[in-house]
Amino acid sequence: MKKLVLSLAKSRAKFLAVLLVVEIIILSIMNPEFAKINNLIEILQFGATLFLMAVGEALVIIVIPGGIDISIGSIMSLSCVVLGITYQNSGNMPIALLATLIAGGLFGVVNGILVGFFNMPSLIATLGTQYVFASLALYITNGVAISGFPDSFSWLSLETTLGIPNQILFLVIPVLIVVLFLVYRTRFGRNIYLTGNNSEAAKFAAIKTKWTIFFVFVLAGVLTAFGAIINCSWLMTARADAGSGMEMNAITVAMLGGISAVEGGRGHLSGVIVGTVLITMLKSGLQMAGINSTWILAITGIILLISIVMNNVMNKFIIKMSTD
Amino acid sequence: MFKKYIPHPTRREFFAIALLAAEIILFSIFVPNFANVNNFVRVIQNNTEVAIISIGMTIVMLLGGIDLSVGAVMGVVAVVTGNMIQAEMNTVLIILAAAAIGILVGAVNGLIIAKLHIPDMLTTLATSNVWKAVIFGLLGGKWLTSLKPSFRGITTAKVAGIPVLLFLVLGVYAVFYYVFMYRKYGRHIYAIGCNEDAAVLSGINVAKVRFISYCLTGALAGLTGLLYIARMGSVEMTIGSNTAIQCIAAVTIGGIGAKGSGMRGSVIGTLAGVFFIGFLKNGIVIMGIPSLLENFFVGMLMIICVLFDSVSGMRRSSKTAEKGAK
Repeated sequence: MKKLVLSLAKSRAKFLAVLLVVEIIILSIMNPEFAKINNLIEILQFGATLFLMAVGEALVIIVIPGGIDISIGSIMSLSCVVLGITYQNSGNMPIALLATLIAGGLFGVVNGILVGFFNMPSLIATLGTQYVFASLALYITNGVAISGFPDSFSWLSLETTLGIPNQILFLVIPVLIVVLFLVYRTRFGRNIYLTGNNSEAAKFAAIKTKWTIFFVFVLAGVLTAFGAIINCSWLMTARADAGSGMEMNAITVAMLGGISAVEGGRGHLSGVIVGTVLITMLKSGLQMAGINSTWILAITGIILLISIVMNNVMNKFIIKMSTD
Repeated sequence: MFKKYIPHPTRREFFAIALLAAEIILFSIFVPNFANVNNFVRVIQNNTEVAIISIGMTIVMLLGGIDLSVGAVMGVVAVVTGNMIQAEMNTVLIILAAAAIGILVGAVNGLIIAKLHIPDMLTTLATSNVWKAVIFGLLGGKWLTSLKPSFRGITTAKVAGIPVLLFLVLGVYAVFYYVFMYRKYGRHIYAIGCNEDAAVLSGINVAKVRFISYCLTGALAGLTGLLYIARMGSVEMTIGSNTAIQCIAAVTIGGIGAKGSGMRGSVIGTLAGVFFIGFLKNGIVIMGIPSLLENFFVGMLMIICVLFDSVSGMRRSSKTAEKGAK
């Protein structure tokens, strides 16, 4: 029993999986339609954008102690706008998609330079860029949503292959595999963790900490651009406020996934994966119950606070259990 | 005897004041219709709220924290007191209620941050979303309009051509400058901001100072909610959505916020920052630049100022290291 509890406390993914089962049971009691396997799979597609952004956010929080990227919501909005504008002007979808990814990366470059090379506090730097990007997106579109994407574009988000939504099968899973490989099987990934854990030690180990931070921000930007593409294909419009509030959701998922908010270099991305599913299911369940989206945002905020408290309590618990 | 009470800005604060002066001079030369008394009065009136909340932001940023929930707190107070004004309650009661709700909401932030040790940006990000939902719930999708509080005269009153609000702002800033420089609480703020471990070892109750600071910020934001009602006469859903960024930008222009800025600076720099942003926004509107780009300039300004401080801080620390090596 003690072993089981300890393993649950140590691995956030396992712990969240248990919570997820409990959640599905409760939501199914409230609404019997919920538990159908089709519904469960369909709900996953709502979380695709959130998942990609949360992974980027989690890496930023890992690489800087007390770090954060508040700007990813605005990066998503602006990437949507870039996709819409480039498609309108070129009429060529692959070029527009490529331009969006490059743009997302460039927005990450701005953050990366400010935080990595100029040593700015990540909160203030990304708060500034958040407003810069959001207001650019509004200015470019004049607040009007861009539509007129080709029908074939909806293939990505509105159709399924073998019963699995396309964006999960062809975008989220490949990107996930690449990111997991990058973070857990390459030197770059180890550098991320060491830089977050002890940046002085990382410097003495000849790790270019500035470049590591820089590349993490760029990666977060590119992942967000992927999220923006999924979002545009899902809504078939590019809205200038598509990403507002997304940073809050992404941060919540990252915290729920056991990424430490105070110390860097703590936490595993597997927790973020399960955390995304958990939050997405919860949100759809609440939406099915007819709760307003403003209240859902408030509930997300409360979950954020609870999960940070949980992180602290769990750490203490693990230390206590291990020393006994 | 009173000589020591004359404000003594730091070099960085003089720089902020110089920026403000340069901006006003440049706009006066190049932007027609900028340099007239009515326009200046309008800028002062429009920026009173940001000016007063920025004091709270200065305190929490000197402590190395941040408060993203000030706008939402102002909104909650404005909604509640707006309803009280509609019910024609006693003015004193309304003012007390505004302060009480502000302190209460600030105390929630303070408790979570100081006692549960949750990082301040995450706490205030979460609570601001909760309060936004509360505003939404209380308003129920409708606006509160045509509010006529008995104190609305304060926003338009003038003494010798100078708006009363300017005296109010200067008075509040003078009080807080005194607290910052000469009271124990103020000195504790600087001690914690410079080196928290040293502050703990010297017997400062860090959790208490932090808690009080967030309560104070809440109270200031709450009382500002009343000013907002008095000025606008209405409360809308999006109330306070830009307040936090403006306050943070004002504080960063005043020289606080970069790592290694040594936690110098006080409310003087903040006041210069507030009016720098105020005149900038005003100039943008007069020049006919779309107001959608307003936040673009405020965000850029914030980044440039912190960039400047970060780079000079890095240079300072590397110089110190060189001296140490010799």
